[in-house]
Amino acid sequence: MSANRWLATGNFFTSYREEQRIFFTHLDRLVFVAVLVLLFAWPLFFELSNKYMLVVNHTLIAVVAVMGLNIVTGYAGLISIGHAAFVGVGAYTVAGLATTLGDSHKLITHAWPLMIVLSGGMGALFGAFVGLPALRLKHLYLAIATLSFQMIFEWVIHFMGFFNQGQTIYIGRVHWLTGEVGRSSHYVFWYYASLVVVVITGFGIRNLMRTRFGRCLIAVRDNDRAADAMGMHPGLTKVYAFALAGFMAGLAGALHAYLYRGVGIESFTLHHSITYLAMAIVGGLGTLHGAFWGPAAIEFLDIQVEHLSAWAAQIFPAQGNLATALRPFSFGLVIVLFLMFEPRGIANWWRIARSYVKLWPFRY
Amino acid sequence: MKHMKIFLIGIAVVCLLLAAAGPSRAEVIKIALSLAMSGPTSDAGQPYAKGVEDFFKYVNEEKLLGKDTIDCTIRDDQYKNDVTKRNFEEFLDMGIPIYLNYSTGSTLALKRDFEEEKIPTLPASFHRGNVEDSNYIFLPIASYSEQCIGLAEYIARHFDGGKAKVALFIHPSAFGRGPVADLEKAMAAGLNIEIVETVEHGTDLDSTATLQRLMSKGVQFVIAQTVQSPVATFLNDAERLGIIAQTFGEKDKITFMGAHYTGGTDLIALAGSAAENFFWTTSYRLTSVPGVGTEAQLALAERYGRDDKTANSHNYTNGIMVAQVAFEAIRRCKAKGNPVNRVNLTAELNQMNGLNAFYPVTTVGPVTYSATDRAGVDSLQLYRVQDGQWHAVDAPFRSEYMRKVE
Repeated sequence: MSANRWLATGNFFTSYREEQRIFFTHLDRLVFVAVLVLLFAWPLFFELSNKYMLVVNHTLIAVVAVMGLNIVTGYAGLISIGHAAFVGVGAYTVAGLATTLGDSHKLITHAWPLMIVLSGGMGALFGAFVGLPALRLKHLYLAIATLSFQMIFEWVIHFMGFFNQGQTIYIGRVHWLTGEVGRSSHYVFWYYASLVVVVITGFGIRNLMRTRFGRCLIAVRDNDRAADAMGMHPGLTKVYAFALAGFMAGLAGALHAYLYRGVGIESFTLHHSITYLAMAIVGGLGTLHGAFWGPAAIEFLDIQVEHLSAWAAQIFPAQGNLATALRPFSFGLVIVLFLMFEPRGIANWWRIARSYVKLWPFRY
Repeated sequence: MKHMKIFLIGIAVVCLLLAAAGPSRAEVIKIALSLAMSGPTSDAGQPYAKGVEDFFKYVNEEKLLGKDTIDCTIRDDQYKNDVTKRNFEEFLDMGIPIYLNYSTGSTLALKRDFEEEKIPTLPASFHRGNVEDSNYIFLPIASYSEQCIGLAEYIARHFDGGKAKVALFIHPSAFGRGPVADLEKAMAAGLNIEIVETVEHGTDLDSTATLQRLMSKGVQFVIAQTVQSPVATFLNDAERLGIIAQTFGEKDKITFMGAHYTGGTDLIALAGSAAENFFWTTSYRLTSVPGVGTEAQLALAERYGRDDKTANSHNYTNGIMVAQVAFEAIRRCKAKGNPVNRVNLTAELNQMNGLNAFYPVTTVGPVTYSATDRAGVDSLQLYRVQDGQWHAVDAPFRSEYMRKVE
């Protein structure tokens, strides 16, 4: 190990344990803590409009969902194009209880942290169930199996009276130590709640990848037969990858239900599954911080193109139809460009930037 | 010295009076609309947005509010509720006193926000569920339920072959399903038709099997509550099978009918000759039936360089009419010298009845709202396609049974 734990000039690991550390240097830890403090403190000093708080919250929820997708598709190499359905399972767990007990029942409004965890559990259950075909299917065939889950999910919600046939099921306002969380503090409150979930699950995944369970995921992705020969259980690994992804998606779904104060099928369609996949690709599959970059980049792009469309429609009013096409066009174009020129996603740019800083001045 | 003091006070008083009587600052009233200009239903959203945009431009250019102007922000929500919510939050920050919304899904999703914010809202959706437990949502025209019951009443009144066998062809959503329960209630209240089957369409490109099944069940009428493209597919297949009635209620054939979003010029463009003899109801005037309202609409479209497709679209009319209602509420509010805010606009809309009813030239009846009446234009006009054009059938009518099921 390097003598200087603040500015290590190279890799001096003498044990696997050292290599598995979360933070390689004290500087890394310090920067992380500083960013964390900043994330928790900025709403106290800088007031953002409700619109942008909603965008930030939506991004954090997408981060939780994409972290889940990253486990199954990025780390375990199993294509899932039904991820929005797992998010929907989480949301409809809250909605189902709201239908049964009433949207202002204390379980919904007071025990909301429990509801979020419960939704994660339901997501995990469905994830494990949908993961079962992964024992026999691979690649495109598995993708079709996950797609079928998406279709079945949408169909069930659309046709079941219990789920209001896909119409909005309202969720009551939650309570906190200071009483009911009103409209004025709603978005800030859910920012903190979502951030806590992001931090906890982020640490959870980072730690998972340090364990043999995490290494199993990567081994199965790289070559499941070789992993099998090495004593791992590829089938079980695939199922728990789906279960973990489902758990994360379930958490995201419950957060979504509470943030929007209602659950409707429009938020969990195939289009949303594709969007999650696009976020994972743009961010960088198989990397933890890619799950942060992807949602942030796609949401930022969406907002900027919205502004551009509005501007274009004002400058060229007759071409209004063209201006509105900018959003779907730019979304598709970004995915294609990333797949062509940077398949490792924004996470790779981050890696290159870090390497550049590391090399300066002569750190190796 | 005393005279000097009186003189100075006199000048000060005159100055104050002049200042008070001087030109007041022009007010910019912000209004906002969130709708699908891309994605699903954008074929309706595009002309609708243009109708709203053009009418407010006209209001400002013609100075219909004097020095005051209306600044209407129009945002594309791609038919996504999450984006609609985001847009709505932005609009609230802008300080809008009235909001124009679009789809059934997003109206239902934001209903509680409208209540909490106490903001009057005019959606493009005529779903009856929108106004249940709501004090701030105002439907521009009769609900889909009223339209479908109105069509069923027309069948019951004019079909001379006994109790008519009707099938419902609906969109698989709240938008499509809404009228089914109300129709059943109307039947329970005495409406003399029989609903043989309710078909929820998917994205099928061929409806032959469905149509043959309906024929085998003896269906004589189909009432559609969906959008144009599935109806066009249905009609094309029906034409190929030779089962479209050439006259109302023709024996061993099916007479096809539909509510607001099933018809219009788009249906004729999509279905071609198969659209002939399709019966359709809406509260809007159509440019194929010329009148004062349609001339004004075409002039507005020409003034702002809109193409023929937009100028003749009933969704363009729809957009104009919603903008007219919002403008009228603002105008009345200002005429009374009241500030233009949410409370006053809600009050103005609620008082829009009786002698205060609003008569926009774009609809077949007056706009009437009250604390208990949330549908603007209650009158419906039946239209029929003949020689590739919509023609009015009889005079505008009102549904009798809707009053009984509400």
